[in-house]
Amino acid sequence: MNRFLSKDFLSGLMFIGFGLVALYFGQKLALGTPVRMGPGYVPRMLSLTLLGLGVLVCIIAVVSGSEPVERPKWKPITLVTLGIICFGLLFERAGLIPALVVLIMVASLAGEEFKLTEVIGNIVVLSVLCTLVFKVGLGMNIYILRGVW
Amino acid sequence: MELLDNLALGFSVAFSFQNLTYALLGCLLGTLIGVLPGIGPVATIAMLLPITFHLPPTASLIMLAGIYYGAAYGGSTTSILVNLPGEASSVVTCLDGYQMARNGRAGAALSISAVGSFFAGTVGTIIIVLFAEPLTRMAQKFGPADYCSLMALGLVAAVILASGSVVKAIAMIFLGLLFGLVGTDVNTGAQRFTFDIPELSDGIDFAPIAMGLFGIAEIVVNLERHLTRTGGTIKVTSLWPTMEEVRRAVPAALRGTFLGAALGVLPGGGPTLGAFSSYTLEKKISKNPGQFGKGAVEGVAAPEAANNAAAQTSFIPMLTLGIPSNAVMALMVGAMIIQGIQPGPEVMTKKPDLFWGMIASMWIGNAMLVIINLPMIGIWVKLLTVPYRFLAPAILLFCCIGAYSLQNSTFHVMQVAIFGVLGYVFVKLGCEGAPFLLGLVLGPQMEEYFRRAMLLSRGDAMVFLQRPISLGLLITTAVLLLLMALPSFKRARKEAFVEEEG
Repeated sequence: MNRFLSKDFLSGLMFIGFGLVALYFGQKLALGTPVRMGPGYVPRMLSLTLLGLGVLVCIIAVVSGSEPVERPKWKPITLVTLGIICFGLLFERAGLIPALVVLIMVASLAGEEFKLTEVIGNIVVLSVLCTLVFKVGLGMNIYILRGVW
Repeated sequence: MELLDNLALGFSVAFSFQNLTYALLGCLLGTLIGVLPGIGPVATIAMLLPITFHLPPTASLIMLAGIYYGAAYGGSTTSILVNLPGEASSVVTCLDGYQMARNGRAGAALSISAVGSFFAGTVGTIIIVLFAEPLTRMAQKFGPADYCSLMALGLVAAVILASGSVVKAIAMIFLGLLFGLVGTDVNTGAQRFTFDIPELSDGIDFAPIAMGLFGIAEIVVNLERHLTRTGGTIKVTSLWPTMEEVRRAVPAALRGTFLGAALGVLPGGGPTLGAFSSYTLEKKISKNPGQFGKGAVEGVAAPEAANNAAAQTSFIPMLTLGIPSNAVMALMVGAMIIQGIQPGPEVMTKKPDLFWGMIASMWIGNAMLVIINLPMIGIWVKLLTVPYRFLAPAILLFCCIGAYSLQNSTFHVMQVAIFGVLGYVFVKLGCEGAPFLLGLVLGPQMEEYFRRAMLLSRGDAMVFLQRPISLGLLITTAVLLLLMALPSFKRARKEAFVEEEG
């Protein structure tokens, strides 16, 4: 196993990455003086520390080794994220039901078992439940199906 | 007596119809998620944050607290009956609880654990009442420099008692602190890291971050692992323990209560640490340690009492000083901030009804839980049979609607998606979310105190060493950091968490 593909080394890189991004976008913020700190003083301090810690994590990882990263399974994380994004895009434009149907469909595909009848049952139950709870019960100002209700 | 007056006020608040309802709702939800494996209390509280936004402050905190200790009760039920810990804090209960159940003593194990938990919860609540005022009074003497040092100590201590690499956890704190800075700078009005997105000028909302990092990431990880349930369900017969069992359980529950209560107050402590330590203690002092793991009553009574006592006392630093000691408490702080309440010593003086009402409701909630858990045990066992492939999409859906309802904006739904991915990366890289959350919650306040302290001292950083309170806190922080570097301490820390990961 490559020692650079370890959990710790990669997290070190992640910290360094975040530190650099924060430094880059924080460079325009005024630093000020220790007495009257500008908006950039604390962010600068924090990003430099994070950068330093990231380097430290990397060094420790290379010197003493750490666990290898588990190979990620792309299906669940991609489909779940995709489902949420679709929901976000559809919710206001099309209404609760279309957004719900897409989210449940996509999210159910993320699991290992997918039975269409079960998923449809799930969708029906959740549609009724959500309409009753959020629209009727809590009186939220949302569309159930845009243009209809 | 002032203390009694306060308690009377608390009970009058907690006994209002509305607050009783929310306490019951919280306890039911807590038990539910405790029973269902795959959704922990942190994820649930994170996902329910948007709901509390629409409730009055007292009711929302009462409900969240109910979820927290309800989960502890529910987790022990599944540990005993099906050998599945719903929560990390009930992992040890599995060891002897399930064995007792296999020996036909399931009912006894359940009632010992419920009554032990109730007793521990009562003691924990009394301890909160006793410590709240002195600690608050002490905290009121703190200046900005002292506060800053106190937060540093809180953050560092939380790392030590958490599992995993210390350097990484500290880096996670700093990352959290940085994320906390996003938004408009309070002192100058400058936009920091907002990338010209108007929604970000008030800062990144706490709820979508918590939902993404804990809720979504947890669902994805569970989907990856393909949760399966094994082990047959055990029939519960009589709930009554024998005299012999009671005689052995009572002292064990007492020891568990006090050990748990003490460990709960510590930053980074909490139910899990309490349960593990008390199990170890019982095993060490027992006359026949060979019984442990084969259905020893002490092995159920002590950790169950300890995790509940710790769940109660971990409210102390949060309520009095505004310093959360673990992820759940960080979420409670987040919920208070959403409601416009700045956690800290002022909560008790300025909002006594909220403060004492919440404490009183904890005791009421514990009493409710005994009823919810013992006679209704059959319903909870049934719930265990709901497959995860139905649950996961439903939880996702509630997350999305909840995030939207925060400000009626789909921007928050997208934020949940982004932080879900980030949370997944954290899990894959073995970076803990809890220190990040603590940093995020404390970040804005800490910067504020730091800047104020430096302004008052005319830019002299020595102020942190000149004020005795601040100096003491910083020395403690330094000692803790040094301790962590010692090899022997490292080993002990590793051993303490070995069982938990298994």
